[in-house]
Amino acid sequence: MVNSLLSSVSSSSVAPLIELRGVVKTYASEAGEFTALKGIDLQIYPGEFLGIIGKSGAGKSTLLNMITGVDHLTRGEVIARIGPSPVSVHTLGENDLALWRGRSMGIVYQSFQLLPMLTLLENVMLPMDLCGLYHPRESRRRALELLEMVEIAEHANKLPAFISGGQQQRVAIARALANDPPVLVADEPTGSLDSVTADHIFDLFERLVEQGKTIIMVTHEMALMPRFSRHILIEDGELVSTLQPKAN
Amino acid sequence: MRPRWRKVLLDLFENPTRTLLVVFSIAVGVFSIGVIAGAYVIIANDMSASYAANRPANIELRMDDFDRDFLPVIENAPEIGDVEPRRVFNIRARAANSQAWTTLDIVAIEDFDKNALNLLTPMQGQSKPARREIVIEREVLKEIDIQVGEDLVFQLPDGSEKTLRVVGIVQDPTTGADDFLAPPFAYITMDTLPTLRQPDLFNRIYATVQGNGNDAEYIRRVAADLKDRVEKNGVTVRRTRSALTNQHPLASTVNAILGILLALGVLIVFLSSSLIANTLAALLNQHLRHIGVMKLVGGRDKQVFAMYLVMILSFGLLALALAVPFGGIGAYALAEFIASQLSFNLLGYRIVPLAFVIQIVVGIFVPLVAGFGPVISGSRVSVLSAISGDLASETGSKPQPGAKRETLFERFENAVNAALLRRGIHLPRPLLISLRNTFRRKRRLALTLFTLTMGGAIFVGVFNVRTTLFAYMDNVGRYFVADVTLDFSRPYRLSEIEQVARQVPGVQYVEGWAFASAEILYPDGTVAENLVVLAPPAGSRLVDAEPVSGRWVQAGDTKAIAITEGILRSFPNLKPGDYLDVKVRGQQDRWQVVGLFKFIDREGLIAYGTYEYFSRETNLANRSVSFRVVTDRHDEAYQREMSEKLDKHFRDAGYQISQARPGLSALNNATESLDILVIFLLIMALLTAVVGAMGLTGTMGMNVLERTREIGIMRAIGAVDAEIMRMVIVEGMVIGLISWVLGLFLSIPITYGLSLIVSLAVFETPIEVVFTPLGYLIWLGLVILLSVLASVLPARNAARLTIREVLAYE
Ligand SMILES: Nc1ncnc2c1ncn2[C@@H]1O[C@H](COP(=O)(O)OP(=O)(O)OP(=O)(O)O)[C@@H](O)[C@H]1O
Ligand SMILES: [Mg+2]
Repeated sequence: MVNSLLSSVSSSSVAPLIELRGVVKTYASEAGEFTALKGIDLQIYPGEFLGIIGKSGAGKSTLLNMITGVDHLTRGEVIARIGPSPVSVHTLGENDLALWRGRSMGIVYQSFQLLPMLTLLENVMLPMDLCGLYHPRESRRRALELLEMVEIAEHANKLPAFISGGQQQRVAIARALANDPPVLVADEPTGSLDSVTADHIFDLFERLVEQGKTIIMVTHEMALMPRFSRHILIEDGELVSTLQPKAN
Repeated sequence: MRPRWRKVLLDLFENPTRTLLVVFSIAVGVFSIGVIAGAYVIIANDMSASYAANRPANIELRMDDFDRDFLPVIENAPEIGDVEPRRVFNIRARAANSQAWTTLDIVAIEDFDKNALNLLTPMQGQSKPARREIVIEREVLKEIDIQVGEDLVFQLPDGSEKTLRVVGIVQDPTTGADDFLAPPFAYITMDTLPTLRQPDLFNRIYATVQGNGNDAEYIRRVAADLKDRVEKNGVTVRRTRSALTNQHPLASTVNAILGILLALGVLIVFLSSSLIANTLAALLNQHLRHIGVMKLVGGRDKQVFAMYLVMILSFGLLALALAVPFGGIGAYALAEFIASQLSFNLLGYRIVPLAFVIQIVVGIFVPLVAGFGPVISGSRVSVLSAISGDLASETGSKPQPGAKRETLFERFENAVNAALLRRGIHLPRPLLISLRNTFRRKRRLALTLFTLTMGGAIFVGVFNVRTTLFAYMDNVGRYFVADVTLDFSRPYRLSEIEQVARQVPGVQYVEGWAFASAEILYPDGTVAENLVVLAPPAGSRLVDAEPVSGRWVQAGDTKAIAITEGILRSFPNLKPGDYLDVKVRGQQDRWQVVGLFKFIDREGLIAYGTYEYFSRETNLANRSVSFRVVTDRHDEAYQREMSEKLDKHFRDAGYQISQARPGLSALNNATESLDILVIFLLIMALLTAVVGAMGLTGTMGMNVLERTREIGIMRAIGAVDAEIMRMVIVEGMVIGLISWVLGLFLSIPITYGLSLIVSLAVFETPIEVVFTPLGYLIWLGLVILLSVLASVLPARNAARLTIREVLAYE
């Protein structure tokens, strides 16, 4: 089984795709300082479907933001070996970070974050346009393929406001895959969807993992736990346990 | 199209009102700059070109009568090129079918075929009259309704009438080019002179110089030598004028005025840029989430920056597409208007490349500069803050940790409220909300206030300048208090004229004045200025003089004059008590300056002396050719009536009267041309005010848009349309009123600045500034009107919002 294979790899000599070392995040606010992450150590390996599970306010989103470089960590290190050479995410400037992120990570949020004035097709083309990895004509073809994959192709020229939330989330996933990044990061992607739709999205993720993507997904639904290749529990900014899937 | 450029395009049309406002406000500025710069270039070129094309004389001498035998004296003078003698005199004329008399300057030319100076440009019919025919300058058509082939009726000195057939219309861009107040010209041959009871003699010389016709110093020297030579040969020169060949005498005045208009145009552009800055700041604020998303999927600062830069450029290009064609047409129209006012020809319609370039540069660069700040800070925003949206909160900035919760304004507001409450006054809630809303966006409010205040201050300033100019004209009038001026062709005894004049009912007082013309010399003997001395009897009631330094001339003064401040151009250090070297009738002399006064120094300098001294100097003791009459009423209509009566009375009694002029008419002519200038200034001021109002509309639109959710909530708790509209409109009016108050102060320096530039251009001397409440009151009404108009549209939009739209808004 793939999962067992991966777990054996993870414990062997293969370097982790993303590695967090003693990551601390402290927010300064009017009320005073608040430490949301209290020294996280985490390795994420290629091909994993990692679930980050925890209660509201536990620090899940904060942890994702450290991985994607969207927010700056207070202490510790985040090292990514996604491109040709390893990158210290926490040391990159905003611009390098944007380019690196655009090419190596697809990000999906609970609130789809599509641009309202662009059609679905254009929304999917946008990352290719900004990162310049594909020729414009090629990017249109590719965007259509991606929309087909998420079964939205027939709505390609509609505006986001005219499709349902589940459909919007599929477009957001298609957009996240636009530059063919090895890693997909999703923060409660099914949080605002009904359970059937959520299931479809989850199926889609599983297919993507089979195709070789590494997916990191945040959720607070314990029920989903068994479907990840691995999950971690986070509570008050600390990893409670890293449950390895049972090796059969 | 690539998605990011599609986004820019769609953003442009996302809010058409906003785009139109920005585009229009840039367009107004670009348009006015285009019009003025274009007109400037066309006029700078054509005014002097059309002038030079008609071979203008460099020297004009107004002399006593002389005959053909005298001509060699002038023709053989050193440095003199072409010479043409003419006879110029004024006469009253009317169309055969009308009773309205108009004064014309008739120019008699010896030989139209040999005409080599001050050429006439044919317009219609003939340009060379035969005997008993006349050709009119096109300006005559403004005064008399007449066509080629019809007759002009002239009134002769004895009161009888003679007719001449009009055979053609010409244009004369050179003769009298420096005096746009002079009567219009008409042209006859010398052999028509007897018909009009004029002697077959010349009284003017027009001449060119042999050397450089564009060297003012050289021309003045040649002219002074010529005058000397003429007077040594026994003919008195009354006045000398000199002019350059390639420059219209009024070119510098017109250019100075266009310069002021151009400065106002630049200011409009400057003001429209604050609207751009405001709009872009609001737009980027609304777009923070979009920017965040783009950065999330790989967008870098410079890509985001480029997108919004392209957006700004699109604003500029749209404005240019609107403003440039109209600017080109407007430029030519303005040039044509000025040309017709000052009687010169344009060389034909054309696009001025320079104006074109200026418009493009202004239309592109001003929005770029104005939008740069907001776009830079917008594109630098981090993904996190953009997506979490905390920058988009109402205050426009994160509350600083530990910052005071209460702003200065809120504290002020609370204090005022408390004070009012203690007196039992409750401000209505909606008014309080309006007031508080006004101050929510400080930066935006500041820019809006700045634009509107500038517009208002300029508007008010223009009114003050108008009053200042007219007050100055009134002041000039103090030196000509007479109701009627009588000029005779030969001197008469004072007592005799006074006695005859008093026979006309209404005449109260008569005074004869003496005149002298002189050149003021530099210590090295060269001519500095031409001077005309007016010499009323000492203690005359007809001069209400107000010397700015020294004293006025008084009884017992001999070689003493009070002179206009214009003398300071040539003698900057001159003080009362100093002496000036002068040349009178070929003789060198020394006069003492006893005082300085303010006057219009356009046509050479003016000084006042005493009749008692100057009449003896000119061998006219107890006699005069020019008399001032005071009547029992002083309005212009009555003056006109009295001058006609006196004219007829003296003619009937057999006196050789050459003209009787109502006192206020010359002043009113001058005032009219000032009015044209004021109208131009006012148009520019209105444009600035309009740009200010557009700025306010934009601000109100943005304010309402950003408060969509809030307005929805207010409606949900029961506010009706009218209340919401009133709230928005009151907010607009509060801004308008604040700008009015600020304008009160800003208008002061603007009034001083504008007055200085205008008076230097028109009068060639700084003048005393006078303020008028009129402009402030009109602007108060206008600013209230404009701010209501500016907020009605946003207010209607606000009231129209449905709950669904409000909830869909993020
Ligand atoms: N910008 C911030 N400033 C201050 N505190 C913050 C900030 N963002 C998050 N926090 C705090 O950090 C803690 C972790 O937040 P985080 O968003 O990571 O939680 P979460 O696990 O994603 O919760 P949820 O399931 O509700 O999304 C919370 O207690 C939160 O209040
Ligand atoms: Mg979260």
